[in-house]
Amino acid sequence: MAVAPEFKSELLAAIPSLRAFAVSLTQNSDRADDLVQETLVKAWDKHHSFQMGTNLKAWLFTILRNEFYSQMRKRGREVQDSEGVMTERLAVHPSQHGKLDLADFRAALELLPEDQREAIILIGASGFSYEEAAVICDCAVGTIKSRVSRARTRLQDILQISGEEDYGPDAIATQVLGSNAA
Amino acid sequence: MKESLAPGESPPPARGSADVLGTNSEIGRKLKQYYDELVSSDVPDRFTQLLSELEAAETAQKKG
Repeated sequence: MAVAPEFKSELLAAIPSLRAFAVSLTQNSDRADDLVQETLVKAWDKHHSFQMGTNLKAWLFTILRNEFYSQMRKRGREVQDSEGVMTERLAVHPSQHGKLDLADFRAALELLPEDQREAIILIGASGFSYEEAAVICDCAVGTIKSRVSRARTRLQDILQISGEEDYGPDAIATQVLGSNAA
Repeated sequence: MKESLAPGESPPPARGSADVLGTNSEIGRKLKQYYDELVSSDVPDRFTQLLSELEAAETAQKKG
């Protein structure tokens, strides 16, 4: 079966998103571009298994993600374990105004385990629903939800933001008042 | 994103990001900023070239 011209143009259109997802996964732009290249070749070869009109972006993200993990397995997981040690080493100190620098955020994101990072990216940035992200990551919807929630909590810890009420002094004052009242 | 629904299927629920990663959250905002920056970076020529090569190879195969 010939590759439809629309398929090619849709692949082209998806490249920026694929690259963004690949960089988020690999944290390395060279590796990311290799991953995107591999994904495009695979997608081209497997084009007959894609049904036009369904979600091409999700299909491509699935291929890219599978490729990423299979490469990681081949490399014997050279990627650093991001739990623990790195967190202590990183000095992320949001400025006095509580505004985060993008570089700080990037560094914090890099500290997340891959499964949490990909979940929070797919849901919070790539615009996929929990259901779509579950298909892409080949896991249950509940798993995606808990990964996103853990990722968010972890980022807040690393970046020292306390959720939506980002007013440190008030939080402390509440505690103090609470203990006085007791 | 375009999504086609199968007959009888209900529309998807509100986008998942709304509850924990909404625009009111600093994390949610930074995440989008981080990602948008990546999406908007220039696409290297190697990719358009690659697709043209794949297409050319396919055409050649069909003729050959």
